[in-house]
Amino acid sequence: MEHYNMNLTLKVWRQKNKNDQGGFETIPAKNISSEMSFLEMFDVVNEGLISEGKEPIAFDHDCREGICGACSMHINGRAHGPWAGTTTCQLHMRAFKDGDTITVEPWRAGAFPVVKDLVVDRSAFDRIIEAGGYISINTGNAQDANNIPVDKHKADLAFAAAACIGCGACVAACKNSSAMLFVSAKVSQLALLPQGHPEKDSRALNMVAQMDKEGFGSCTNTGACEAECPKEISLTNIARLNRQFIGAGFSSEK
Amino acid sequence: MKWSQFFNTSIGKKLLVGATGLFLCSFVLVHLVGNLQLLKNDRGEAFNAYAAFMGHNGLIQFIAWGLKIVILLHAFVAIQLTFSNRAARPVKYAVNPGNQTSSWFSRQMAIMGSILFIFIVIHLAQFWAKFHYGDMPTQTYEGMAQPLKDLYAVTYDAFQHGWVVIIYVISMIALSFHLIHGFKSACQTFGLNHKKYNGLINFIGVWIFGIAIPIGFAIIPVFIFFQ
Ligand code: HEM
Ligand code: SF4
Ligand code: FES
Repeated sequence: MEHYNMNLTLKVWRQKNKNDQGGFETIPAKNISSEMSFLEMFDVVNEGLISEGKEPIAFDHDCREGICGACSMHINGRAHGPWAGTTTCQLHMRAFKDGDTITVEPWRAGAFPVVKDLVVDRSAFDRIIEAGGYISINTGNAQDANNIPVDKHKADLAFAAAACIGCGACVAACKNSSAMLFVSAKVSQLALLPQGHPEKDSRALNMVAQMDKEGFGSCTNTGACEAECPKEISLTNIARLNRQFIGAGFSSEK
Repeated sequence: MKWSQFFNTSIGKKLLVGATGLFLCSFVLVHLVGNLQLLKNDRGEAFNAYAAFMGHNGLIQFIAWGLKIVILLHAFVAIQLTFSNRAARPVKYAVNPGNQTSSWFSRQMAIMGSILFIFIVIHLAQFWAKFHYGDMPTQTYEGMAQPLKDLYAVTYDAFQHGWVVIIYVISMIALSFHLIHGFKSACQTFGLNHKKYNGLINFIGVWIFGIAIPIGFAIIPVFIFFQ
């Protein structure tokens, strides 16, 4: 594809801290290469801001290769920008044209408070994991191959669910700020495999209880999460979580 | 988890909305089949006999009262969820994706549901309350010992007014939009999402409940108006 340079106008959410009201700031982004990633574009803009003695735009990032889930931002109304199945760090500037205005907002959810500018606190996800997103015994060393038979199809489903990087795009994209896609991916990844299966009931009950406590909304099956998930986690996981939650609710003795 | 806790979780509440919603879907189907007798050109014999049976059969009266509770429960829990879902995003986005990431129908459930709720109140006042507690004309048919309450005539009277017909047609559009997403959504809430059945669920939800049944209902007032 042809390489080109462009001048853009950014409308970026600026907010000093948790308690600040915040608001949009218009910042020009000059001479941006189509081959840069979205975050590299921000790096260039920030260099400029710093040299002018201004506060750079705070944004979260770590791996810059689409696996850590840190680079949360809502770009022109889309979680992680316009490309499907992509994180912001994997979004390239060739998604935009010379002269474009790009509006960048932080994830919006009561459970993800803004820390500064585009950085939000996603520790609500950590607390959901602490409520049951693990196997509570040490499963020991790797067994001999085929010692514990696992159906190939289930292994594939578990693997697909395990691709979730906890980025929060599902919450950001959902009109209800529901965390169901995230929770369902975590519940599914464990419940589908022999090591995670024994605790599936208590896990489903506890993780959902924590999800509600954190103030995430409920699922109305709009499918926006699946459409925006960079790892293309399937809605079938939410159906599985619902089944497990119903089953656990019926059989729990406490 | 106790049942009281279970039905207080987000999924528990969704299950209540889904279960009551599916019950309402089954009701809507039966109601349409009965009402289509209004289109028969028999001075209301079949329809009035059916109405008399429905109005006197103990089991049906029991279900009919249950239905009113189900409607209230559905509306109450659904609206409660709608408000808590709104509250889960205290600061809104400046730019929204619109139809790029979700269907328009799936985002209008509470609005369509509220239109339906108002419609149901009007509809019950107009026909159900009148049939049971109001002044009803009667009609005698050949071979019947007693005259029947003439709900058929009341219906034909009501739909002489253009504005009543318009309210009914708009409400059936709301029903259509509500069920295009509602039926599928309830299946997903109950965990039914499977390659083998999704095509069928989609067909039933969109074409049967979302389109055919609302059209079936809407035809009745329009047909009577143009009689
Ligand atoms: C004939 C009447 C009605 C029928 C057949 C019906 C059916 C349904 C169904 C099947 C669902 C999907 C449940 C799920 O997603 O789990 C639903 C959801 C819902 N209904 Fe109704 N409903 C009716 C009336 C109402 C009324 C009167 C209201 C409100 C005043 C209402 C408000 C809602 C809301 C807010 C939802 C949840 C939205 C969502 O899941 O996205 N409905 N309804
Ligand atoms: S389910 Fe997808 S969108 Fe949600 S946290 Fe996991 S990777 Fe991100
Ligand atoms: S920075 Fe790690 S996924 Fe984008």
